[in-house]
Amino acid sequence: MLDQYQKEYATQNVQFILIDEKGTILETDQAFLKLETNSSIFDVHAFFYTFESIKDTLENALLFSCVHIHFKDEDYVTDIRFVKKKEGYLIIITDYTSHYTEYQAIAQTRNESIINGELVAIKNAELEERENFKNSFIRNFSHELRNPLTSIISITKILSDTALTNQQQDMVTFLQQSNANLKQLLDDILSISMISSGRLKLRENIFSLSQLFDLLRFTYKTRALDNNIEFAVNVDKKIVDLVEGDRLRLFQVLTNLLDNAFKYTQTGSIRLDIQLNQKRANRLNLRFEIVDTGVGISVENQTAIFESFSQLSGEQNSDAPRGTGLGLSIVKGLLNLMDSEIKVISNVGEGSSFYFDLTLKQPLATTSKTSIITPRKKKDKKAKFRTDKKFRILLAEDDINVQTVLFKSLLDTNYFYIDLVSDGALVMEKLINEEYDLLLIDINLPNVTGDQVARLIRDFPFKNIKSIPIIGITAYSYEDDFKAFKKSGMNAVLSKPFEHEELLSTMAKYLK
Amino acid sequence: MQVSKKIVVLGHFGVGKTSLIRRFVEDSFSDNYKVSIGVHITKKVVEVSPEEEVSLILWDLEGTDDLTTIRDAYLLGTHGVVFVFDVTRPSTFQALNADLDIVRSKISKTPLLVVGNKVDLVLKEDLETLFTKNNIETNFLTSAKTGNAVNDLFLHLAKLLH
Repeated sequence: MLDQYQKEYATQNVQFILIDEKGTILETDQAFLKLETNSSIFDVHAFFYTFESIKDTLENALLFSCVHIHFKDEDYVTDIRFVKKKEGYLIIITDYTSHYTEYQAIAQTRNESIINGELVAIKNAELEERENFKNSFIRNFSHELRNPLTSIISITKILSDTALTNQQQDMVTFLQQSNANLKQLLDDILSISMISSGRLKLRENIFSLSQLFDLLRFTYKTRALDNNIEFAVNVDKKIVDLVEGDRLRLFQVLTNLLDNAFKYTQTGSIRLDIQLNQKRANRLNLRFEIVDTGVGISVENQTAIFESFSQLSGEQNSDAPRGTGLGLSIVKGLLNLMDSEIKVISNVGEGSSFYFDLTLKQPLATTSKTSIITPRKKKDKKAKFRTDKKFRILLAEDDINVQTVLFKSLLDTNYFYIDLVSDGALVMEKLINEEYDLLLIDINLPNVTGDQVARLIRDFPFKNIKSIPIIGITAYSYEDDFKAFKKSGMNAVLSKPFEHEELLSTMAKYLK
Repeated sequence: MQVSKKIVVLGHFGVGKTSLIRRFVEDSFSDNYKVSIGVHITKKVVEVSPEEEVSLILWDLEGTDDLTTIRDAYLLGTHGVVFVFDVTRPSTFQALNADLDIVRSKISKTPLLVVGNKVDLVLKEDLETLFTKNNIETNFLTSAKTGNAVNDLFLHLAKLLH
């Protein structure tokens, strides 16, 4: 009985063919390939050409797995075994089509998934490379601009201290405003670059919200009066004063949004409303909303305004002064960092409302006043130096323009004797041969960089050299660069372009 | 007189081996990726000189990133090898020289052509950088999609083996 079942099932999928040495079919069953005796096996399928190359070396049996055979409009996936016999060569073909079809489906899913994963990784790597290139470009661009800008700012300062006619004074004021705008643009570009490269880190501190809002009121009150616009900051009374978060970045977000509102509002009002959304455990969720009665933004432009360098050609800037187009992009980036999102509701001709919800921590215990961040007040006092002696300064700077203006502006104060070098390698020689009270050194010097010089100085065996105050000046502006320069042994680092007073007050700290 | 030559086409999966053969044999192309399992064998007769033809028996082997797993039976009687990689996927050529060593250890003394496929998807200057960076030397750069250099590749091999 079993023999009969075996014949019935097994023979359906297995075909036996006997061929001679020339490939002629001597005998065959007709299990699934309908073949004729005395025909050539080579005409059945190109696979069988392999017989030519194996017949001489075939000892017992040879198996070929998973061979696709197309015969008389039918596709089969088979295992094919060649066996050497007395009478000739036996070919046993087993049809595993259904089995291999299942395997193919599994392989298809697996391979597609691997390939897609690889392509996504390649795409990501490309995007990262582009982003790195962009950030590196911005960094170099910013660096290269800072040297000439330092010269321009310093020269403007020197010029403003001379006797000027009213007309000349107006022109110098215009120059100073343009310098400030250019510096702001550079700082904005740098902020964008730092946000997109992930180099901007939030710093959480406890700070007073009321002080922050007072500062905003104070800052924008005069501007509103000048423009004949109503301005108000409305704070929900349920909001506690002390919170924990990144005060500086929140301030940057709010000032960018307010600057934007002022830029595009000619008449009417601008309002900053702060509402408590909810308070859970020690977390406050606040809604910040800046509402203006400005020109408004059309729906199709409401996404584009948050992209870098997006100065809309239409309604937003029709009569307004041109800006960098970076402010709102910075807002978007900073809020993303703070797990928030900027949103806008606006109608052309009616005004705009920019808003975001932000979670801030509420400090659990009452914290001592000393750890609370308060805004730094600008010192009006001029830097004070001893008048009974002149200090000897070694200025190491290779940029001839920066060198000239620094030399002149420092010399004009009458507090200093200045020696100049423009190569890092010459600094040590000067320090060994002369006595100086302070080293003012550019970081990016040829041959030996400023930070390398600082390390050499701090490792030097003689105390008079080892302990000289070092102030670094640099066009690099990333915070981690600053940290690295300070770590090299510098007492302070100033970022180009800096104000003359900032330089003097920093120097005064170390010259007693 | 017509002679038969067995050509084995191998490489990692998804590099376009089947598409190259289909372009050569049927002059067609499909964007749909269908994974090949086992081996597909096709035949094409090419004219190597006005009086001579060679019948190329093309063995399209299942792609694998581990070439040591190729079944030895598939390689018996091979006259020529075409190793194909995908110029857009580094995983298919990053270990090219090691892969070729494996192939050569399995089929020694057999002409082997190295082919970078899918060149229609990359810029020529990017390719040069890519090959220099990865220390890669190719015999042919093909595109099964456009047909670029596909016939040249197989005809070159046919003449080489003839």
